[in-house]
Amino acid sequence: MDDLQYSPLDAAHRALGAKMVPFGGWDMPLSYPSGTIDEHMACRTAAVAFDVSHLGTVRVGGSDAFERLQWAFTNDLGKIGSGRAQYTHLLDESDGSVLDDIIIWWVDDDTFDVMPNASNTDRVRNAIGGQETTHSRAIIAVQGPQARARLMTVFAEASAVKRFHVVHAVWDDVPCIVAGTGYTGEDGVEISIPADMAPRLWAKLLEADITPAGLGARDTLRLEAALPLHGHELGAGITPLQAGLGWVVAWTKGDFRGRAALEVQQAQGVSRRLRGIVTEGRRPPREGCAVLVDDQVVGALTSGNFSPILGHGIALAFLPTEMVDGTPVVIDIRGSALGGTVVATPFVAKQK
Amino acid sequence: MVVMNVPDDLLYSSDHEWIQISATHARIGITDYAQDALGDVVYVQVPTVGVAVVVGESFSEVESTKSVSDIYAPVSGVVIEVNEALGSDPAAVNSDPYGAGWLCVIEMSATNEIDALLAADAYRALTEG
Repeated sequence: MDDLQYSPLDAAHRALGAKMVPFGGWDMPLSYPSGTIDEHMACRTAAVAFDVSHLGTVRVGGSDAFERLQWAFTNDLGKIGSGRAQYTHLLDESDGSVLDDIIIWWVDDDTFDVMPNASNTDRVRNAIGGQETTHSRAIIAVQGPQARARLMTVFAEASAVKRFHVVHAVWDDVPCIVAGTGYTGEDGVEISIPADMAPRLWAKLLEADITPAGLGARDTLRLEAALPLHGHELGAGITPLQAGLGWVVAWTKGDFRGRAALEVQQAQGVSRRLRGIVTEGRRPPREGCAVLVDDQVVGALTSGNFSPILGHGIALAFLPTEMVDGTPVVIDIRGSALGGTVVATPFVAKQK
Repeated sequence: MVVMNVPDDLLYSSDHEWIQISATHARIGITDYAQDALGDVVYVQVPTVGVAVVVGESFSEVESTKSVSDIYAPVSGVVIEVNEALGSDPAAVNSDPYGAGWLCVIEMSATNEIDALLAADAYRALTEG
């Protein structure tokens, strides 16, 4: 069992009294003693710091790096440039389903940091080559409406990195890479820092009144923002088109891995699409629960939980395309019925 | 490691419920250990007054942001009082598991079932083991 990987911030988490859980092969904080709800609210109202060192980093370099990534992934790096970040997908060539969803940091002209989900790092590296640098650095995500203001006192250069920009920045003589990215629906940045220096930066962030937050809050936050989680809303049998992420597919850029399979689906149209459902009362709808209309099962929840901001249940499900917003549904929670309504997402509007 | 509160004057089940006996009444809730393991409680399925419960059988659910946990009846009987306040304030289970976080009172049908419950020392040993 102890083939788990440990973050450079592991000791700091334990000293804070975090509950640790295995996630994607890593032992990571689920929550700190204040609890998931407090951490969630801190991110929506103030500022939090997540240790996301479990995300993979695969560095791809060389004069052919751009072309290799253009072929491997769905989005078009030609739409951005060096010093920018982009969300993209790696597809299964056979059926166009999403093998992983990825953020690319275009670090320098011929250098890209490709960041897969923890458990998919090997799969992505096999597809694109490159050098895995995951263990040489920590990544700290600072998120929330006050994230930049509080980060300013600790690491001013990082606090100024704009949304989807990628910048080399120096903190206390330590070279870092900072991107204006995140996974909460809030403003903020993610800081990649050499592993041995990460505990010092983490401590300074907490001193600046930035609340440590764990995977529990990360999940409820991303669900309120209706951001997909691989293995739930993306994965085997799910294409970007079904997930409502057609904008991630750059049809205009030429051939890419999985394109042919996806074109077939594009031509036929999708029969099911990812939708939001709000439910009545505090009871959390859960992944796997059946969704019914007129006593007929029309789908199953891929994620669901209590929304701390809204005070009721929220969920995502693949539902027949013809179902309109406002359609009443019933969620079967272990044999008892919970009323719900199909709605447009995100559940909680993005902060400007 | 956080030290869990296990009051000496209560009885406990191996399913992590506490039981306060008063004549034929058993007031129950979940222990400090249980609430800590669950994490932030967001929903309690408060039982209905008058419902009959059987020892060892699930009759309620407590849900946190991360999971759902069945509540098993520590004794048999009939539910005669419930903590309606948990409907709007389930977090009381976390903040005050032995006080404001109580779940219900059961009128026991077989008081000898108490003998199978654990004293505080035995429950402490169970959770620390």
